Amino acid sequence: MKLLKLLNLFCIALLLASAVEAQNKKRAVLTIPEVENQDIICFALYTVHDKTLKLTAQLYPIPSDMTKTVRLEVKKGGEWVEVDRTDAIEAGWTAPFRVENWDDSQAYEYRVLHGTEASYGGIIRKNPVDKDEVVVAGFTGNSIHPVHGGDISRQDIIDNVKAVDADVLFFSGDQVYDHFKHYAAWLKFGRDFGEIIKDRPTICLPDDHDAGQANLWGESGKVSTLKGASDGGYAMPAEYVKEVERAQTSHLPDPIDPHTIGQGIGVYFTNLNWGNVDFAILEDRKFKTGPAGRVPKQGPRPDHILNPDYDPASVDIDGAVLLGERQLKFIDEWTQDWSEADMKVALSATIFCGGAHIHGSANGRLHADMDSNGWPQSGRNRALEALRKGFTFHYAGDQHLATIFQHGIDEYRDAIWSFCVPSIANLYLRWWEPLEPGLNREPGAPEYTGDSLDGFSNKVTNFAAANPDKEPAGNVLNTRSAGFGIVRLNTSSREITMECWPRNVDITDPSAQQYEGWPRTISQFDNYNPPSWGSLGKLTFDVENPVVQLVDAKTDEILYTVRASGKSFTPGAPKGRAFVVKAGTDVPDQLVSKNSKVGSKAKKVTLK
Amino acid sequence: MVNDAKLDKGLLLILRIGAFLCFAGWTWAHLYWQGPYGAILWHDSMYELASNLGVSWEEFVGTGANDGFVQKGLSVIGWLYLACTILCLTIRKQSQLQMMGLLAGGGLLVILSYAKYLGAQQQLPMFVEHGGQMLMPVVLVLALRLGVRHRLTVAAAMAATITTFIGHGAYALGLWPTPPNFFGMITVILGVEYGTAKAILHMAGLFDIIVCLGILIPRIRRSLMLYAAIWGLLTALARPVAGMSWDLNYWGADQFLHEALLRAPHCLIPLYLFVLWKQRDEVSAKDRTQLPSLAPTGVPTTARSV
Repeated sequence: MKLLKLLNLFCIALLLASAVEAQNKKRAVLTIPEVENQDIICFALYTVHDKTLKLTAQLYPIPSDMTKTVRLEVKKGGEWVEVDRTDAIEAGWTAPFRVENWDDSQAYEYRVLHGTEASYGGIIRKNPVDKDEVVVAGFTGNSIHPVHGGDISRQDIIDNVKAVDADVLFFSGDQVYDHFKHYAAWLKFGRDFGEIIKDRPTICLPDDHDAGQANLWGESGKVSTLKGASDGGYAMPAEYVKEVERAQTSHLPDPIDPHTIGQGIGVYFTNLNWGNVDFAILEDRKFKTGPAGRVPKQGPRPDHILNPDYDPASVDIDGAVLLGERQLKFIDEWTQDWSEADMKVALSATIFCGGAHIHGSANGRLHADMDSNGWPQSGRNRALEALRKGFTFHYAGDQHLATIFQHGIDEYRDAIWSFCVPSIANLYLRWWEPLEPGLNREPGAPEYTGDSLDGFSNKVTNFAAANPDKEPAGNVLNTRSAGFGIVRLNTSSREITMECWPRNVDITDPSAQQYEGWPRTISQFDNYNPPSWGSLGKLTFDVENPVVQLVDAKTDEILYTVRASGKSFTPGAPKGRAFVVKAGTDVPDQLVSKNSKVGSKAKKVTLK
Repeated sequence: MVNDAKLDKGLLLILRIGAFLCFAGWTWAHLYWQGPYGAILWHDSMYELASNLGVSWEEFVGTGANDGFVQKGLSVIGWLYLACTILCLTIRKQSQLQMMGLLAGGGLLVILSYAKYLGAQQQLPMFVEHGGQMLMPVVLVLALRLGVRHRLTVAAAMAATITTFIGHGAYALGLWPTPPNFFGMITVILGVEYGTAKAILHMAGLFDIIVCLGILIPRIRRSLMLYAAIWGLLTALARPVAGMSWDLNYWGADQFLHEALLRAPHCLIPLYLFVLWKQRDEVSAKDRTQLPSLAPTGVPTTARSV
């Protein structure tokens, strides 16, 4: 008995001591520092859309004896003018501001104020509609673990973003890897990136790790109870998830369809029009079905398929959701709306295919991963069918592996292009390495490029993959293919240039090298130009950049809507079908022809 | 004496079932799914070790077209668990070999628990809470070898209970980050909001600690073991109850049922202690009522090992 008593006391003492020690260890890495009252505002994020400014100030904990009221002031005519005030929300200490009738034709200095001492300022940029090129810097996977270089300073990123003077920042997900302390990690994120975030519109998409779980199939807000969460739903309590989304997305333009999902969790999918580029901000995790118990078991995990001989159709089950009807409806309407938009870009957490073959720090070949947007295949195809109707370019992250793909639905290369950016610091390595060399590769291109099927038999064409070093890759950021992306959207030439940069290089240095396969420039119109298509007759307009729409004459289904570049446009279309062609200066409200087919005659169109 | 022998058989059966279900659950987890060894095996230092032993990278991890040492080793472990499951049924007092085998199974559970501890970013309660499972085969072997009432058997069972409940309690009280599925299971089963789920967990965590302390207090330990057995049963069943659904393939049984089975020691070890102590208390009470007439000096007529 004495022995047991000793054991008991030892266990309790050990647990308590370890609890303290564990917390101490966490403090060394991830802590909420005590700050002076004057420094209580950590950082601020904002967007401006449709003449509305939304700005969220992120604060350190406000002492109980201090006011929770936070003010937003803007400098107009040399004077600071208060434009909004709000009370900070204690769960996460965010202060979301909203200012309507915002004049986006010029830049304004702003400052967020708290009490009498705290002030944090930046610049609300003018809408860059007069610029030919909108530069979007893209990031994903912000691991802070020292073991693979996560503790290395982000100053190189700060310097490079400033050097290219990015117009928009896009953090595609996993800004936070700590599954229990989002608030502390988010403050650290702000300390690391606040210097560039404060002066330009920033889009953040909270992904699985941000929400406190390794993978996320949100399944419209279900509660997940299975380890690994592949049963679908959120593992963390809804209050935690709401706090995360409030911190990362409350500054985004208002949601298109704000109805909440299960557990009262909100939605934020919406669009942001900036510099005549229309960004669709998608939630590709929130509505997605969890695979566990739904699909036949194909491997040692419900979400992994190891057997290369399995029948891909067997996992494309009825009722499995990817984006969900609400988002598909939004995309359908968004691709038809070209008001003040020359180009369309979709932003989401991850890409619409299984974008890696080998997973982990070793040679773990995984035939297919249902955490990717390659599954469910029908949902993937519906998403791509919707997005290509607006010639949408897709910008995403999550994979820990930078890639460029052109997606295919019925044939190779008949849908949109995607650029998956590399991780800021790479927690988990992946490689794109098909067992068979890709077909129809460009001359001299690596064997992993070209046409191939992903693990779900989705058609994909790879153009670049920043595969990390093959063997255990050590602790250096660049042997683990860390980095960031730059996308240059030229609204004049309608070209899209993808750049993929390693960490700790000066990208303004002419000798600086991007990862192999970058840069690559495509045309906006490559995002829906199937090889099997032909061309209708050339249309010549009396106005610049009209909006053109093709509608199937038989089914009334819209083939696509796009803003033409210049005064002429040669519509591409499938052979053997007839199309109604419409056009307009901003809305395709005028009939151009009723029965156009591939090979039809050229036509002059008057829209004035 | 006849009743004692019958009871001893019953106690042994409880322990045998506990060990059997625990190993059966883990066998399913290994052979149908995969063992939780990722944190150990997919590690650079493990490769370095293999490399020092002359194993190449491809041999170690496989090429994708074939399995490497890692995959082959993992599949072997599953079969070892199956062997231990069968041993729980076949093991007899006379067979030292089987006892050694079952103790080796306990060693496998220690390795598994260590892997889970590493996978949980070295949270101590993750290792400690597996104490009941790790010690389950040990308790069974001791019961067979020394007897179900032997002080070492009982001490091992108490240690198993203490570690299980202190680990759970540390999580439930939030001394370490509470696993989110604790909240999820309560929310789904009871239909309560986060605040209520949190309060329930704190209460449960407090009771867990009371169980750990109270097990050493003879006056209350029997009642506490009954509570512990019921709570152990409920927490084990909570996995399938919260996760299974008519809509899922096999109703989700292949996902969740083994999660309840492998936690059988959390219920059955306290049940063993409860039954043992109940009988002892009843005998003691009987002895007390008979003592004045049988032994006027107050000296007990029987001496038990616990």
